[in-house]
Order: sequence, then C-alpha cells, then structure tokens
Amino acid sequence: MLSRQHIITYGIALVFILALNFLLPRMMPGDPLMAIYGEEALVAMTPQLKAELVERFALDQSIWQQVGAYVLALLRGELGYSYYYNAPVFSVVLGRLPWTLLLVGTSLVLSTILGIVLGVESGWRRGSWTDRTMLAGLMSLNGFPDFFVGMVLLIVFGVIGGIFPLAGALTPYSGLTGWASVADIVTHMVLPVTALSLAHLSGGYLLTRNTMITVLKEPYILTARAKGLPPHAVKYRHAGRNSLLPVVTQTGIWAGRVFTGALFVELVFAYPGVGYLTYEAMMARDYPVIQGLFLVVAVAVLAANFLVELSYRKLDPRVSRAH
Amino acid sequence: MHINVKKEILGSGPAIIGFVILLVMIMAALLAPLIAPYDPQQQSVSSLLAPSMSHWLGTNHVGQDIWSQLLYGARTSLLVGFSVGALAVLFGSICGVSAALIGGLYERIIMRLVDSLIVIPMIIVIIVIAAYIKPNILVLIVLLSLLSWESGARIIWSQTLSLKERGYIAAARSFGARKSYLAWRHIIPALGPILLVDFIYGIRRAVFLEAGLAFLGISDPATISWGMMMRDALGFSYLNVWQWWLVPTGIALSLTIVGLTFIGHAVEPIIDPRLRGAEVA
Repeated sequence: MLSRQHIITYGIALVFILALNFLLPRMMPGDPLMAIYGEEALVAMTPQLKAELVERFALDQSIWQQVGAYVLALLRGELGYSYYYNAPVFSVVLGRLPWTLLLVGTSLVLSTILGIVLGVESGWRRGSWTDRTMLAGLMSLNGFPDFFVGMVLLIVFGVIGGIFPLAGALTPYSGLTGWASVADIVTHMVLPVTALSLAHLSGGYLLTRNTMITVLKEPYILTARAKGLPPHAVKYRHAGRNSLLPVVTQTGIWAGRVFTGALFVELVFAYPGVGYLTYEAMMARDYPVIQGLFLVVAVAVLAANFLVELSYRKLDPRVSRAH
Repeated sequence: MHINVKKEILGSGPAIIGFVILLVMIMAALLAPLIAPYDPQQQSVSSLLAPSMSHWLGTNHVGQDIWSQLLYGARTSLLVGFSVGALAVLFGSICGVSAALIGGLYERIIMRLVDSLIVIPMIIVIIVIAAYIKPNILVLIVLLSLLSWESGARIIWSQTLSLKERGYIAAARSFGARKSYLAWRHIIPALGPILLVDFIYGIRRAVFLEAGLAFLGISDPATISWGMMMRDALGFSYLNVWQWWLVPTGIALSLTIVGLTFIGHAVEPIIDPRLRGAEVA
C-alpha cells in the first residue's frame, strides 16, 4: 500500500496550501480584517459585526491562537461568508462545483481515450507518413492555449454558425424538464468540452506513443507476432494494454491541468463553474470566496493525485516494491 | 552523457521550424520600438477601426494600434518566458545537484519538498497570491520561477545520482575533490543537455502562464500582454473585429508555444534515449 514517504509528501502539500491560505491575508499591510473580507465588505459592516469577526478569527490574540481558530473553523467546514453572494462560501463553491466536474470529467475521459487510441495507432506505425503527420499536428495543437481554442470555437460555431449557445450551462427560464433539459445541458457543454478535450489531447497521445515505441521492442511482442496473432490483437491486447500504465499515473496530473484549464474555458463561455466563480470573485474582490475556492480546488486536485497513485500501485505491484 | 545537442536539433524538421518561429518572435520583441508604427499605449478616438494602410491590424476599443501592441506583447511574453525559464533552471539545479551530492537528511528534506510542490496545482496558487498582490512584471517573474522549478529539480537530482557513480567522477572523488568542485567541474557540464530541455519547457510554461493570467485579468495594466489583448478582444466577439484582433494575437501566442514545443521535443531524447530513432523515417 502507500508508503510513509507518500503520506509525508501529501501532508507537506496540504500544510503548504493551508499555510498560504492562512498567511496571505494576514501578511497584507493594514487591517487584516480588511484583507480577509475586502474593502467593500468592511465599509458595510457594523461595529458589532466587526468585533464579532475579530473574535471569530482571534485576530486580537497571538498568531498561534489565530492558527488554532483557523483550523477549528476548517474542521467545522466553515470557509467564511461571502458578502457579495450573501451566502456562506462553502455553499457558493459547492453550488458551482458540479458544473466544473461535469466539464472536466467529460473532457478528461474523452481526451484520454482518444489520446490513447491515437497514440497506439501512431506508435504502431512509427516513422510512417501517418505517424509524422499526427505527431506534428498534435504537438502543434498542444501549443494552442485552451482559452484560445475555446474563443475560436465560440466565434465559429456560436457567433457565426449559430449552432451552439454562446454562454452558460442552461437556457435560463426555459422550464425544460426530463430529456429536453438533458439535451439543453449537452448542447451547452459541447463547445467548452471540445475546447478542453482538444487542448489536452496531446498529453495522452504523446505518452502512449512514446511507451508504445518502447513496448514494441519487447521480446513478447516478437513472440506474439511469431505465433501468428493478427496485427490488431498484437497492437491493442499486447502492446496497447502495456502502454496504459504511464497514462494512468499521468491522469492525476492531467486532472489538475484540465481543472485549471476549465478555469480559462469557463470564462470564455461564461460557464457557471468554479472557474467562472474565481473570475467573478476576483472582479468583485470577494476575498473569502477566492480563499475558499483556492482551498477546495487545491485539495480536490491533491485528492485526485493521491487516488491515482493508489490505483497505480494496485495496477502495477512493481511500483510499491520499488522503494 | 556525450550528446551532440546541435546535431540532435538540426536533424529534426520540426525543431528547425521551431527555431525559425522563435527567432521571428525574438526579432519582433527586440525590434518592437523600431518596427512598431505607433506607441502601443497611445489611445485615440479612432477606435475599432478595420485594418488599413495606416493601421495594419486596425485599432482596439480604445483606439490603440493592434499591430504595435502585438509587437510589444512579444516583448512581455518572451521577457517573462526567458527569465522564468532561466531562474527555474537555476533553482532546480541548485536544489537537485546539492541534494544528490550532499545526501542524508538534507537530501530527504529537499526531495520531499520537491515532491510536495509537484502535486500542488500551481496556477491556483498563483491566482490566489495575485488576488492579493497585483503583480507587476518583475513580481510575476519571481512568483512564476519560485513555483516552477520543482519538476526540473527532480530530473536533475536523479541524473546527478547516476552521474555520481560514473568512473571519472568516482576517480575525482577518490583524489579528494570537494563537492563544490565536483558540481562545477563535472556534474553541471555533464547535465548541460538536460538543463537545456528544462530551460525550454520552463520558457514554454511561463509564456503560457503569463498569457493565461493576463487573460484572467491578473496582470499589470501598464504592461501590454497577448493574454490581456485576447481578454479585451473577447468582449467584442459579436463584432467582426475578432478577425484582426483576437486571431492574430492568439496565433502569435500559439506559434510561440508550438515553436518551443518542437524544439523541446527534439531535445527530449536526451533525457530518455529510448525515444531515439522514433522520429527517423
């Protein structure tokens, strides 16, 4: 199972995130309450509320007592209160999370599967015209930032083509139910998901292709060929399956990247996920929401990496014995 | 590790394309004050003009010349890219080489730190920091460098470990060479190609991040950046101005990243020699 080393690694990462979240507003010059809540919110506050907040954050006490108050609040699931949305930060973030997960999950699955298939085909034909075209094409695609791909798709298929909706995740006030509402969500998803999948296709492709090239040199591939197996069986059952492992390890890291990629793409399509929320909160200087988002997203990505590492160890027992 | 980097790069078609692209961008950045027909910050009443002889790419919403902005944007992108690339390689090699050579508790602490930083999503960290301190270009460079040296450090560390056992380095150690001498005289020169790959990918990441952050609105408004231009252009996507405003900017940014990817991919077999010959047809 997991080694102590890994638990320490993730522990340090978590402490780093929490420490950053705790220290940033408190290191700002001036009133820490202002840095925690933002200027606008502070103007509207009554003296009683201010006093209450100072007490809640233990701001009049030593730094260690402040740390204690901070950790206790986190353990209770309190991320603060957003004066802009007039709701607890936790519920604001939670309300947006499903949209982002939908976007990221779909894109991750699509781009990984397509990347693996293209990588296997490309590596199998390595050096051929098809392989070189695919390699150059996908590497170029890799250079196109996801938000630029998104904007081009938006203009071509949304503004000019008018095929897909321009913004949002649902048609507002449409009163759609059942399958009609599912179809509505899907049509709103098409462009952002395409942008994200295209921008993140090359990772899986390049890795699978590289592994494929190494795996194809293995003796068991020669054996499989020598015993007369049809090419597609050698390609997918023998070489392809063994090229999967590195892709699995990377999925955790990609999940993080697609998640942050969604931040940009959501802004392009005004898609109401956590990425767009981050943008809104920054524009409104809603510091509690920014902090809460940072915590939730960072911990989610850490958790994804952690889970992938666990599953990798299950898939390839050599890894856990390697240390 | 005797690899002819020049041969490796010149032997690959895409790498040559990459070099040409990068060279064009560097020229644009260096010569911007000479080629740009207008001051990129100069606002005028003639806003959202279509391309013409006097404004090759038209003007933006506040009447600034887009072509001039594009040239100055290359400056920002490449300045941030190269600085962050260099600083990240510097931090990465200091930590990687010293950890491998010194060993013991020091090595364990440094490498745990590196592993932890690898699993943290950096863009989000930068966003939260930038939300508090509106970074100018210098702060942005430092911030990006501090948060992007760790993956390089890991590769450099593992390579140094294997180099340490090589005959000639073991020989130098048996003659009583000090660690600092080993590092400068033997390890760093032998790491050359790997540092180069790390540098190129460091530039690529920084160019992308700078544009992305500016696109999100995290940038110094006084600095012209491709990301900022795209963000401004997005607000006018319902007009036909995107053709000469958004598209050229996006293409310039993408080409820069593609060029760096091509160069990086050609040098990558240095890190993983098993890939050698994969490109040869």
